[in-house]
Amino acid sequence: MNYHIPKWMKALQYAAMIIMAVLMFFPIYWIFANSLKTLPGISAYPPALFPSNPQWNNYVMVLSDPKTIVYLRNSLILVVGNTVGTLLSSSIVAYPLARMHFRGRGLIFSLILATMMVPTVTLVIPQYLLFRAFNMLDSFWPMILPAFFAQPYNVFLFRQFFVSIPDSIDEAAMLDGCNRWQTFWKVIVPLGKPIFITVGIMSASFWWNELFTPMVFIDSDNLKPLTVASLTAFQISGTNGQTEWNLQMAFSMLMILPPALLYILCSRYITEGIKTSGMKD
Amino acid sequence: MGVPRFIGLQNYVTLFSPDSRFGHTLLVTFLFTIINVSVTIIFSLILALLLNLNVRFKGLFQFFYYVPTIMPSVVMASCMILMFNQQLGIVDYVMKLLGIKNPPNWTGSQSLVWVVIAVASVFTFQTGQQMLVFSAALKDVPRDLYEAASIDGANAWVRFWRITIPGIAPMLLFNTVSATVNSFNGAFTLLFPLTGGGPGDATKVMSLLIYDNAFKSFNMGYASALAVVLFIIVAIVGTVQFRLMDKN
Repeated sequence: MNYHIPKWMKALQYAAMIIMAVLMFFPIYWIFANSLKTLPGISAYPPALFPSNPQWNNYVMVLSDPKTIVYLRNSLILVVGNTVGTLLSSSIVAYPLARMHFRGRGLIFSLILATMMVPTVTLVIPQYLLFRAFNMLDSFWPMILPAFFAQPYNVFLFRQFFVSIPDSIDEAAMLDGCNRWQTFWKVIVPLGKPIFITVGIMSASFWWNELFTPMVFIDSDNLKPLTVASLTAFQISGTNGQTEWNLQMAFSMLMILPPALLYILCSRYITEGIKTSGMKD
Repeated sequence: MGVPRFIGLQNYVTLFSPDSRFGHTLLVTFLFTIINVSVTIIFSLILALLLNLNVRFKGLFQFFYYVPTIMPSVVMASCMILMFNQQLGIVDYVMKLLGIKNPPNWTGSQSLVWVVIAVASVFTFQTGQQMLVFSAALKDVPRDLYEAASIDGANAWVRFWRITIPGIAPMLLFNTVSATVNSFNGAFTLLFPLTGGGPGDATKVMSLLIYDNAFKSFNMGYASALAVVLFIIVAIVGTVQFRLMDKN
């Protein structure tokens, strides 16, 4: 801000920012710290803020389990399949809503926004019965196919971005002889890079995180993604069902790293991708 | 699963019968939604406001605020269980340091478990996502309005309520509605690993009940009836939110 801010206010603001950063980041630090302890080390009192004798071997144990690689593969199939499907279908649906003028456009957009409010859990029973009829239960299809039919929230984000691109750009492309498809692929898609990256990251994070649908549609252990597997992987089977917290936390760290890396690589685009202009029309 | 048989409105009769736990589930669902939406909106707005003022290392702060919210809910749930654990949790240790001799069993108490859920809500994907949306909206609020207001003698609090909030009102609406919908959708992913609906059925929200009925006891008809009721509720809540915010 341009007007004068007193020095003590600035100091207060930085103090608040640092406190928030510590609070927000503590759980990740705690997962990391505990992933380097021994199982008895975790139950030691008082809890050690810094593990004195880091057990990097916990990571080796988790990663050398062949099942971990299978779960990882399954998670990646869900993430890639959904991200590709979402980017293709949602952007193609958003384009005419943002850049073409036709009767009923507002109505269609409102209807799409309205379907945003339908909870997944209400859709899953008819989907289950449908995919059972298709003989697709216990496979990845029930989770990947729907991504190719556009999601309302992503359509909304694409539309917001496409609306903010000046109209004259399409007109110039059309004058140069591009048809609608060519305008979309050669002009709008390159200009829309930030929103494609934003939606891609959101879709990838969502599916890396998703627990509900895999629990509904997947039965076989070798098709489970990391999320479902993490619920049971480190419960020591026995009378008290104790958890191997150190391995659980190492496994958790491995589940945090990919989304964190994705954010570091793409953070520049994520903030660019969110447009609030055009919200008020 | 047996052969489907048409039973008219029987599932709805069961649903609304006096000894059904449906009323309780509805209450719990609302409680979860209210806690989750208010926690994520308040936190994301605070974080966005802090980032909005001219600061150094903005990217670094944004990283520290955003990344914790993209950790998978199952990861966050197991971390919360570890942190709030009565024997080995850091929360208990801190409370003892503060002089509380017998810290409560957070996840074992039907009321205190909601504190754990509220803390967990801070670290959901929604908070980070909403923070970015608020940040973008705050950038669009005209700067000269603030200058004019401070010349007129308006303090920071007045400027916040009279300029910032109206300036980001459309995004506040959007974030509230999508946080509400995400609460109904994300309740399962958050609560199944965190509480499993317990203790007892203190945190058994609609999606957990639907999952139990549809995919554990294969009571598809009853689960569908629950789903229809949930859909109607979400539609009403969403419409009311749009109407209320439209007026402002």
